[in-house]
Amino acid sequence: MGKENVGTSDADLVRRVRAGDTGAYAALVARYRDRLGRYAVHMLGNREEAEEALQDAFVRGYRSLGRCDSPERFGAWLYGILVNRCRTAGARAARRGRVFVHDEAALNGASLANDPNAPNTIEQAEFEDLVRWALGRLSPEHREAFLLKFVEDLEYEEMARLTGAGVSALKMRVKRAREQLQVILKEAEHV
Amino acid sequence: MKRLALLAVLMVATRAAAQEPRLERVDTAARAPVAALLDSARAAGLPTEPLIQRALEGTTRGAPANRVIAAVRRLAADLGRAREALGPSAAPPEIEAGAAALRAGASPSVLAQLRRARHQPLMIPLAVLTDLVASGVPVDSATAAVLILARTAQDADLVEFRRAVERDIALGASPASAATDVARATLAGATNVNSPPHMGSGRPRRP
Amino acid sequence: MFDRIVAHLRAPVRIDPAFDERVMAEIATLPVPTPVRPAAAWRRLAPFAGLAVAATALVLIARPTPPTRRLQFVVVAPQAATVSLVGDFNDWDAARTPMRLLRADGPVWSAVVPLAPGRYHYAFLVNGSRWLPDPAAPVASDDGFGAPSSVVTVRGT
Repeated sequence: MGKENVGTSDADLVRRVRAGDTGAYAALVARYRDRLGRYAVHMLGNREEAEEALQDAFVRGYRSLGRCDSPERFGAWLYGILVNRCRTAGARAARRGRVFVHDEAALNGASLANDPNAPNTIEQAEFEDLVRWALGRLSPEHREAFLLKFVEDLEYEEMARLTGAGVSALKMRVKRAREQLQVILKEAEHV
Repeated sequence: MKRLALLAVLMVATRAAAQEPRLERVDTAARAPVAALLDSARAAGLPTEPLIQRALEGTTRGAPANRVIAAVRRLAADLGRAREALGPSAAPPEIEAGAAALRAGASPSVLAQLRRARHQPLMIPLAVLTDLVASGVPVDSATAAVLILARTAQDADLVEFRRAVERDIALGASPASAATDVARATLAGATNVNSPPHMGSGRPRRP
Repeated sequence: MFDRIVAHLRAPVRIDPAFDERVMAEIATLPVPTPVRPAAAWRRLAPFAGLAVAATALVLIARPTPPTRRLQFVVVAPQAATVSLVGDFNDWDAARTPMRLLRADGPVWSAVVPLAPGRYHYAFLVNGSRWLPDPAAPVASDDGFGAPSSVVTVRGT
């Protein structure tokens, strides 16, 4: 596997892959997997599905790399693929009857001992559980808009390009998502 | 004399395994007869992969040799009947799907009717028919529904149809009426992922 | 509270580096993604288009890989020490697709398998010998082996 080359731009790596240097793709994977993985984990609510969607996105990215028009913006382009994969994965999970629930979160807590992402305290673990649960209560469109705005820091124009929705619709979704989260969390306090 | 016979069996079995290495996993006593069945199927132009898979399934399950041989023989016969009903131009996946449908209880004439009704590959309609029966829909209801839909519905619609029927059954509808009702709704063009799952009267409600 | 949530969501997530190997293993079987020519160039090459189409068709026919979907199989088996997924897609070989626990002490086992469109028989093999059909799946017609297998249908795009 190729190690990431410091100073090798996305455009350079994409050019190399297209010229036949498959190993260069490993550098792109290493460069983007954590950042994109973060979105997938919060969007889908569980590690396993997130990694599957992420892997799917990277493989599709490789397959259609010939159609990436701006190799210097490979990350953004791949991001669009991932957003799409998460939508498909979410729809599929919903059809199978799998939902974000407390137990789901617990089910995916495998090997916590060596997990660098594991929470340090019980209070932190409960908090993360709560956030995951609250996010799960949002509709997919609201959750997606919320994450793209507040976690990925995208401009609305960029979000519109990624999701295919209009800017004003997206602004409304983000506003509603924020309101809903406040309500959900307030409810949780009184349980 | 017995030792010679045993040796002969082993030699034939070894040769069979050489032609299809996966047969090495199969019980020695079953290996040669299964290989012979594979040869006949191949000579008849029938797909052999499902036969190999059936033998391997039996092996993994620890079934005795005679059961494995019987199962492979029966599947080979079903494949032959399916090909006869579907016509000589049937592709291997269609023949396989046809054999499964026959096994589920569909008659060869149903396969022939499907062939006449639909000028696209039949793998999905046959699979849907078989899956419906597997979910408890009586063969006649499943057959009627699939035949009606097969004329015009795309593969994706047929799969969605099966899912909708299984959903209704899970919610308490009788399998036979679920198949008929959903077929009706599908014909009305209502079936797609984003629309409400079903229309029509007498729809069961979650208790 | 809201700020704390956003801070948590923005915290870095570390994906296991084994992930990279899985991706690279999967793309190793794919053809090199050469750049696609822009439309304008095709117009100039129109007289040769027929030849190009024929050449492309030849390449497409030669390429063997059908699109696959990744399916997750899940089963609850509280008493199991090991569980394998066996089916038409792995020659019913218990060694090929061992399942793993979703949680170290929990009863849920899982495996993800790439499958080309089609219909497959499968089952779970518990502790190397106990045959367990999938309680959540339709049942295959009787094969004469005793307890039946389960069926999964994977559709094309």
